[in-house]
Amino acid sequence: MTDLHVAVGRDHVAVTGDCRPEHVGDVGGKAVGLGSLLRAGQRVPGSFVVTAGAYREYLGTQPRQLPAPVRAAVVDAYAALCAQYGTDVTVAVRSSATAEDSAEASWAGQFETFLGVAGAAEVLAKVEECWAAAQAPQVGAYRAGQQPGADGGVAVIVQELVHARVAGVMFTQHPETGDRSLIVIESSFGLGEAVVGGDVVPDLFEINKITRQQHHARLGSKHHEHRLLPGGHGVEVVPVDPARQQDWSISADEVMALATMAANLEAKLGRGLDVEWAIGTAASTAGAEALFALQVRPITVRPRQAPAAAPQRDAIGHILGRLAGRPAEGDS
Amino acid sequence: MNQGRRSFRNPFDIETAPGAEGWESMYPSYLLFGDELRERDEQKLWFFDQMHNPEPLYPFDLMMPESWLVSLNQYTTRVWNLPTALGIEHRIVNGYLYLSPNVIDDPAAMAEREPVFAERARHYFENWDEIYDQWVAKATDCIERLKAITFEPLPEREPLDTVLRARGTTTAFDLLTSYSRYLENMHEMAYYHFEMLNLAYGAYLTFLEFCRSHFPAITDDLVARMVAGIDVILYRPDAELRRLAACAVELGVGAALTSGAEPAGVIAELETSEPGRQWLAELEAVKDPWFYYSTGSGYCHAKRAWIDDLRPPFGALADYVGRVERGEDLSRPFDALREERERIALGYRDLLDDADAAAFDSLLALSRQVFPFVENHNFYVEHWHHSIFFNKARELGAVLAAAGLLDADDDIFFLHRYEVYRVLYEAEARWALGVPTRSEYIWREEVARRRQIYAAFEKWSPPPALGVPPEKVTEPITVTLFGINTETIGRWLAADNGDGPDDQLHGLAASPGVAEGVARVVHQVEELDQLVDGEILVCPLTAPSWSIVFARIAAAVSDGGGIMSHAAIVSREYQLPAVVATGVGTKMLHTGDRLRVDGGTGTVTILERAGASGPDAAASA
Repeated sequence: MTDLHVAVGRDHVAVTGDCRPEHVGDVGGKAVGLGSLLRAGQRVPGSFVVTAGAYREYLGTQPRQLPAPVRAAVVDAYAALCAQYGTDVTVAVRSSATAEDSAEASWAGQFETFLGVAGAAEVLAKVEECWAAAQAPQVGAYRAGQQPGADGGVAVIVQELVHARVAGVMFTQHPETGDRSLIVIESSFGLGEAVVGGDVVPDLFEINKITRQQHHARLGSKHHEHRLLPGGHGVEVVPVDPARQQDWSISADEVMALATMAANLEAKLGRGLDVEWAIGTAASTAGAEALFALQVRPITVRPRQAPAAAPQRDAIGHILGRLAGRPAEGDS
Repeated sequence: MNQGRRSFRNPFDIETAPGAEGWESMYPSYLLFGDELRERDEQKLWFFDQMHNPEPLYPFDLMMPESWLVSLNQYTTRVWNLPTALGIEHRIVNGYLYLSPNVIDDPAAMAEREPVFAERARHYFENWDEIYDQWVAKATDCIERLKAITFEPLPEREPLDTVLRARGTTTAFDLLTSYSRYLENMHEMAYYHFEMLNLAYGAYLTFLEFCRSHFPAITDDLVARMVAGIDVILYRPDAELRRLAACAVELGVGAALTSGAEPAGVIAELETSEPGRQWLAELEAVKDPWFYYSTGSGYCHAKRAWIDDLRPPFGALADYVGRVERGEDLSRPFDALREERERIALGYRDLLDDADAAAFDSLLALSRQVFPFVENHNFYVEHWHHSIFFNKARELGAVLAAAGLLDADDDIFFLHRYEVYRVLYEAEARWALGVPTRSEYIWREEVARRRQIYAAFEKWSPPPALGVPPEKVTEPITVTLFGINTETIGRWLAADNGDGPDDQLHGLAASPGVAEGVARVVHQVEELDQLVDGEILVCPLTAPSWSIVFARIAAAVSDGGGIMSHAAIVSREYQLPAVVATGVGTKMLHTGDRLRVDGGTGTVTILERAGASGPDAAASA
C-alpha cells in the first residue's frame, strides 16, 4: 500500500479504509469513522471520499462548478466501485464536514444526504449539491454558533447503498446513565433514517456487555419505514402493517450479532461509541443479507450523572463509613 | 404516581382472627400491642416477618425470634453501636410476627456513636479469618454441648445411687437444671448467629452499592455471583445426595431407591444384600452432620430435618439415581463455576477507570472474605443446631407426657419456654407428692384451647405491613437481612390500596431469565410431590431442602426472601428465573394460573387464570 498520508490532502478522492483521525481536516469525521470501522474488520458498504481539498478547488471556481480534475477523479472512483460490485451501483452521497461528527458536538443531520443515487452523472450532480448546501446560510450559522473559527471544509462520501430490511443505531454504553456495562440497540424496519431522524419509536434492546444477556427490551411502535424506491432512485416512506409493528424488528440472534460487533469495536476503537448499522442486501454481498456497520462516532450525549469517584478510604474504612450512615455513592 | 393512602392499616384496628378469641395469653405481653405505647406504635411501620416466620408462631418456637430480639439487637445497639440504628422491635398480631426497625437520625447521636463503632467493627474486619475460625470452634462446641443435654423420664423411685453417693439432689432436680442449660445453650447460639452477620452483610451491601453507582443497570444477582462462594457448606447436603446416588448406581442398588417405596421399605430392601448394606453404611456416614438439614427456615419445629424424616432426601435420591442412570454427571462443575465468577468480576472491573478498579478490587476481596460466614452460619445455626434443639424439645415433651401433664410429646410447642419451666416444676411437685394435682388437668386443657386458636390463626391472612411507613426505608438490617426497602413498601402500599395492576406482581429480581408456565402453589415441603415437571413454583419461602425440585421447575416465585435468600441462590445455580419478596404471591396466584416470570425485572405476569375465563372468576374463588 502506498503512503496515503501523502495522498490524502493532495488528491481529490481518498480511499475510505485509509482515512485516519489525523486526516479529519481533509476527509471529515464520517469518513474517519468509516475508516476506523474498516480497519476494525467490520463489514462496511463500499465507498470512496471526495476530499475537502476538492471542495476548496470547487469554491475557487467562478461560476461555481465542479472542476474538471475533480469530475474525472469522481467518475474514476465510481467506475472502480462499479467494477467491483456491478453496473451503476446505487449509492448514498453524504457530506462529511470536517467540523461535524467531532466528539464535542454532534451535528448529525445538519448536512445533506442523498439516498438512492445511481450512475456517474447523478453522483456528480449530488456531490455538487452537497457542496452547494454547505454554503446555505442556516448551516453556516449553526456551525458558527457551535464552533467559531472551525475550518468548515466539506468532504463528500459516496457509499454503496444497503437495501436495509432493518437498521438502527447502537451505543456501546448507556447514553443517559453512562453505564458502561450496557450495550443499547435501537432498531426499526427499513433504512436507518427512521431511527436516526427520530421519526419512529424504535425497538429498544439493552444487553449486558459482560454476560451478553438481555437486560431490558421494549417493543417500539415503528409506524412507518423508509424504503429505497425500486431502482434505487430515491426513498419512499411507507406505513408498516399494524400486525408487523407488533413484531420485533430483529431476532435474538441479530441482537447478539450486534452486541458482538459493539464489543469488538470497543476493543479496537475505545470506549463510548455510537454506531449506525443496517441488516440488508447490497451489491457487495451479491444480494445476500448481511450486517453492515454504517457509521461510528464517539457518544456525544453526556451522562446525566457521572459515576461517583472511587472511595478515598481503604475498603474497611469505606464500609464503616457506609454503615455509619454516610450517603452511599450514587444515591440520589 | 397514584394518590393512594400513604399508610397501611392501623395495627390497633386489626380484629382478632375468627375463632382465636383470647389468643393474647399465648404470648408474653411485652410482644403485644398495648395502649401504653399506642401513640408511638401506630405511627410506626410494622412489617410481617414472612422470611423467617411465614407460619403463626408456636409459643415454644417464639424462643427463636425472642433470641434474636436480644442477640441481634444487642449487637446493633450495645456492642457495635451502629451509628444509624437501634434495635428492631417485635409485635405479635393474630399469631404472626411483625417487626419494626428503629433508625438514629440525629446527627449528634450518630457522630457520638461513630468512633465507638469504627474501632469495634474494624477489629472484626481486620481479624476476620482468625475470628471466623474461632467462630466455627465456638459454634461446634455449642452444638456438642447441646447434644450432651438429655431429658430422662422421672423414675418411679429415685435410683439407689443418689443415696449411696450421698448426692443430696435428685433426678427431678437434674431435669430442671438440664432445661436451664438447654435454654442457655439456645441463647448462646443466638449470639453466635449474629456475632459476624451484620458486619458481613454490611461489607456485601457496600460492594453492591459501589457496583450500582458505577453500573446503574447491574442486577443484584450479578453482584451476588461475583461474591458468592462456590464450594460452600450450605450446598454440602445436596452434594452428598448426588454422591450417594452415583454410589448407588455403581453398587447396582439404584432400583431399590427408585422403587417408590417409603424410606423404611427402601432400607429394608437394601439390607437384604451385601451391596445394599454397603450403601447403607455410606448413608450412615453422611448423616451426621449433613442430614441435620431442616425442611424449613430452622425457626419452626414443625419443619422436620432430613435426619428425622427421610422422605425428602430419599425423594431426591430417587430423582438423582434416575439421572445418573440416564448418564448425567451430577457433580457440580466447580471449576466452570469459579471461572464464570472470575469472568464476570473481571468483565466489570475492566470497564472501570484505574482508581475505581482498585476500589472495586478491595471491596470485592473483602466481600469474598466475609461471605463464607454468611453462607455457612446458616448450616451451623439454623440447620445443625436448631434441628437438634427441636428434637430435644420433643424429648422433654415426652417426659411431660409420661408424667401426665401433657397429652402428647408435641403439646410442648404450645407452651412458652418459661411456661415449660413452670410445668416442669409442677411435674417435680407432682412426682414429689405422689398424689393427683390440678396440673394434670390445667395444662392439657390449656394446650387443647391453644391448638384451636392456632388452627384459627392459620386461616387468617396476615397483611404484609401495618402502620405508617417512613419516607425512606434506610435501616441497614431491614434492608440487608429482610430485603425490605422503600420500593418494596411502595409496592405493598399499591397492592394494599388495590391500585397495582391486577395481572402483575413485583418482587426482587433474584435470578435473570424469562419463563412461562403453569403455577404450582406450594406451602409445605410435603406438597412438593404434587409438582409436575416444568411448572412454576410459587411458595412462601423455600428452604435448602427444597433444592431438589429446582431441577424440575421452570421458574420460582416466593413471597419472602432477599437477594441472598435460598430461592435466589439456588435459582441462580440452576439458571432459572426467580422473583422473590413479592409479598403476596401465594395469595394472588393459584395453582393452574399461566404465568410469565421475568427474573431480570422482578415481574410476574398472570397470562391466564386457572379454569376461569377472566381474572374476576379466580379472584372471587
